[in-house]
Amino acid sequence: MIFFTQKINPSEIKVYRVGLVLGFFVLIVLPLMVQSNDYILQVFTHALLLASLALAWNFLGVSGSISLGHAAFFGVGAYTSALLSLDQALSPWFTIPVAGLLATGLGLIMGLICLRLRGAYFALATLAFVEVPRVITDNWDALTRGSLGLVGISGLPTLRLGDWYVDFGSSITASYYLVFVYSFALLGLVAFVFRSNMGLAFQAIREEEIAAEAVGIQTNRYRLFCLLISAFFTGISGACYAHLVRYIEPSLVYGLHFSAIPMIFAVCGGRFTILGPALAAIVLYPVDQFIFHPLLPAGHEFLYGAILVLAVLFIPDGFLGRRQNA
Amino acid sequence: MTLLQLKSLSKTFNDCCALSNIDFTVSEGEIIGLVGPNGAGKTTLFNLICGRHRPSSGNILFNGIDITDLKPHSICRLGISRTFQSSRPFPQMSTLKNVLVGHIFSKGFSLHTTPDDVQIAKELLEIVGIAHKADIPAGQLTLSEQRRLDLARALATRPKLLLLDEVAAGFSPVLVKQAIQLINRVRERGVTLLIIDHFLNLSLKVSDRLLALDHGEKIAEGPPHTVMRNRDVLQAYLGLRHQDEEDM
Repeated sequence: MIFFTQKINPSEIKVYRVGLVLGFFVLIVLPLMVQSNDYILQVFTHALLLASLALAWNFLGVSGSISLGHAAFFGVGAYTSALLSLDQALSPWFTIPVAGLLATGLGLIMGLICLRLRGAYFALATLAFVEVPRVITDNWDALTRGSLGLVGISGLPTLRLGDWYVDFGSSITASYYLVFVYSFALLGLVAFVFRSNMGLAFQAIREEEIAAEAVGIQTNRYRLFCLLISAFFTGISGACYAHLVRYIEPSLVYGLHFSAIPMIFAVCGGRFTILGPALAAIVLYPVDQFIFHPLLPAGHEFLYGAILVLAVLFIPDGFLGRRQNA
Repeated sequence: MTLLQLKSLSKTFNDCCALSNIDFTVSEGEIIGLVGPNGAGKTTLFNLICGRHRPSSGNILFNGIDITDLKPHSICRLGISRTFQSSRPFPQMSTLKNVLVGHIFSKGFSLHTTPDDVQIAKELLEIVGIAHKADIPAGQLTLSEQRRLDLARALATRPKLLLLDEVAAGFSPVLVKQAIQLINRVRERGVTLLIIDHFLNLSLKVSDRLLALDHGEKIAEGPPHTVMRNRDVLQAYLGLRHQDEEDM
């Protein structure tokens, strides 16, 4: 609120825009700049994947619901795609979208149960909800191999167009670009939706739901729509993660980590902004990996906790929050 | 022509009877004042008409359509709109966007806002007299400006029937005068009005008829001055007179 009402200096906007464009080009040419260093590229691939996760989380967040249970969609996405490609030998081109759809199905169940709640009650219900798919995955040994996890998952698939092909699985550069394209496509979708009248409806719902309903907005339908889209893309990101890392286990993909991290990025970057969550992921994750990980190998993730606390205290609308209507 | 018809409408909350057996009819073009002391059930009646609460029994007909079980957004799209007792703007949205929301979503869905939509929203802000605040977040408006905004947003949904909940409560005499002018302007647009007016500073001057409630029951209806001389209404507002008690 305070930040929103501050007048934004036009020259500041210029600097900000130039910075964004510059950052975008750095991301495009990054593989050329760090040719000999796979580690840096891997970190940025992961950062972009987390950016997609934060964008997906924020698709729900923008309608006023705070989810602490997105690991459910992430895990189901990861397991669906990994199992289908391992056991049925299906191409990830096919299994990744299927993973998204299954996550959407889970989102529908979560929505029907939890969306009647608001605020902290919704958040707590989603936190509990993660346990359902986690316990099932953990115990259905015949299908999921239980807590052993899955190893040897196929890498990202190969794209063939006639004689020309890119193998996204074996080349780190290629997988970087695939995740890059996916994240920016999602960013484009988010920008389109948030700037349309739908974005206006989301804002109305999160700011004053009773009034929103009274002026003709189908609030329940919009809130469910947000959850389903959010679940779909979180599932896709989970599937990409499985093929990227090629090893998953229940405690990893259903862990609190994947519920909390998109929320932390979204809150730090600006919950009601288009770009904020993605920007926070792309900046903070490499900072964590390159600076804090070497310093504190065991406890480097305290960074996220500290940043979340600081953000909530001092910039509750996020880095980009003050620009929300600009 | 009958616009709104309430048929033996009742509402109980946890065995507590908020409204019982209300029968009432509103004709097109009328201004009805809904009066009664605190807790009489005035706002509950609004919430039933707008679909926020479901009646325990009875029916609500609007333009001949049974709207008893419809959701608030459907009822809004049929042409009933309301303001709130304590206004409920979208606080971080600009004042103009608040009105735009009312205009856009009451007619079904369109993906993008057109310049026409913006023009209509601006005109409505003009009518309620807060056009100069169009770009300010609604949360920063004063109380009386927020009530005006509430009214503009409600009008933006193109209502046939508009329910005003305590629009003039706490207003100075000057503001009440402005509110009366505003209500007459709204009536000229062909809108039927139902006005809750606890303090009677508005409804006596603009209403065609009054509906008086007390403890959830209808105690009187009719032209303002007849209703205000009604013994039950006087009792509800002022208590029993000593002599009346002896009569009983």
